[in-house]
Amino acid sequence: MSSPAIEFREVTKVYRKILRGLEVPALTHASFQVMPGEVCAFLGPNGAGKTTSINLLMGFFYADYGEIRVMGYEPGDVRAKRQIGFLPENFAFYKYLTAERLLRFHNALAGRRAQDAATVIPDLLTKVRLTGYERLRIGKYSRGMVQRLGVAQALLAEPELLVLDEPTSGLDPTGRKDVRDLLSALRTEGKTVFLSSHLLSEVEQICDRVIIISRGRVVKSGRMQDLLVAADRVEILVTGVTPELELKIQEQGGIIARGEAGVVITVGIAHKRETAESLWAAGMDVIHVMPVRNSLEELYMKTVGTEGGVA
Amino acid sequence: MRIGSLVLNTLESFLHNRLVVLVLILAACVVLLMLVPLMGAKSATTAANQQGMEAAVLEMVSGVMSFVSALGSILAAWGAADALHSELKSGTVLAVMARPVKRWEFLLGKYLGVMAFMFCYVLVMMGMSYGLVAIAGMKIHAAPWILLVYPMVRYAIYAALGLVFGTLVHPVITMGMILALSLLTDFVGPGSFAWKPKLMWLKTGLYYLLPSTNLLTEGRFLSLRQAALKQATWLEHSITLGYGLDCAVILFVLAMWRFHYRSLRQD
Repeated sequence: MSSPAIEFREVTKVYRKILRGLEVPALTHASFQVMPGEVCAFLGPNGAGKTTSINLLMGFFYADYGEIRVMGYEPGDVRAKRQIGFLPENFAFYKYLTAERLLRFHNALAGRRAQDAATVIPDLLTKVRLTGYERLRIGKYSRGMVQRLGVAQALLAEPELLVLDEPTSGLDPTGRKDVRDLLSALRTEGKTVFLSSHLLSEVEQICDRVIIISRGRVVKSGRMQDLLVAADRVEILVTGVTPELELKIQEQGGIIARGEAGVVITVGIAHKRETAESLWAAGMDVIHVMPVRNSLEELYMKTVGTEGGVA
Repeated sequence: MRIGSLVLNTLESFLHNRLVVLVLILAACVVLLMLVPLMGAKSATTAANQQGMEAAVLEMVSGVMSFVSALGSILAAWGAADALHSELKSGTVLAVMARPVKRWEFLLGKYLGVMAFMFCYVLVMMGMSYGLVAIAGMKIHAAPWILLVYPMVRYAIYAALGLVFGTLVHPVITMGMILALSLLTDFVGPGSFAWKPKLMWLKTGLYYLLPSTNLLTEGRFLSLRQAALKQATWLEHSITLGYGLDCAVILFVLAMWRFHYRSLRQD
């Protein structure tokens, strides 16, 4: 089994305001893993510790406790950074540069040849729909254009791991769709993506893994398909249901919905066998019995509720 | 290549810094104001008073260039502190440091970028010194390398000081701290008022500890005549410049150490 692309082990980070004597815990014993090739959503309310985690992961901050490994190295190690493309939250670029010159600057920082830039940069600018604006100063760009340029610089050095902090922030619906398509393409290419976002419906479509953080603690972590399965309810699809059975199911707290494919009966896990057997006994054709699948939003709200973070 | 890119980027950011442009305009205005007395000196020079007029002109140019040179010290310290602070405050440092760039490489790039700008400043300053004296029909006796190397070493100290304090506090506070440090250095240097004998150990200790730039003033060579210049030996130059470079390197290493352990977020 390959080693994780990202690994947090018991990571703790406390912000200290020495003059005010304040200590604000941003992360508390956070542990999680992201395997190579996975697209992982990193979710949580504002101030939950998402950006702190990303800053620790990139080596911008130091953890007070615990261990972090990125692509097998410590955060900030240039061997790890060679494999990472990063888009910061609310990132800023040198306003006096043009998009082309900024990408050339980053190309040089990535240690790549100037000749590579000549072919890669126009392709990237086309990919993020900035063709025609490459000679305009970034200071004159709209928020969405800057964000798209940020995505382009993150993709510049053909990274194996992409760390994206709110990549769709400031983008219009077309821009969001572009980013979503881009992430799908990256998944197809086998790249690892670690993505922080508040857009749960989009995340649900793209991501394989989800990590939910709240008040600096990892409160839910796992594969998307596993987490979205509700452990306490099942869905039974049958061709029909008799009025007597319908009454009985409802008395047991079951829910009955009629659709084109048949009648969908949702019952608690405790009544699964009894209900299915009753339906068979009554001559109904049971098409399937499946665990109920929540939406990511339902899972998120159930996990985090209306809580906010503290840091 | 990475450091080179950072140097060029820092140099370019200087040219877009309004405060830097303002200081350059101020320096240019002061030099232009000098033209009037220099032209007067030229017209008043006769064969009989040539030597006296030359001494007066050199003193005048030395005084004005000392002011321009002092502005350069402020520019070097402010430039270094602001180059770092603006990256941290705007967040541009995050995208840069996400690249395979080590922290010391980033800081060295910033430092060399400031020094590259100061080199241009010194070249212009040197050209002005020669130009102003030539306008008055006189000549500078000091060798050009003195007017180039001495201010560069002095600015290297100020830029390194700017980086040391810039990793800790806001550039405005940095400038206040550097000013206080300069005053303290003068306060404990030779020629300052007499300290109580009981506190002489403190004065001597501080004198050796604090980075002094008094001897690194190129202005003191501007007004010297050929005979006096010959008295400044290579050994004296080497010791003075070596001391200055040593100070700059120690301060830069301090800045690197501090920058390595700080978070890349402006608190």
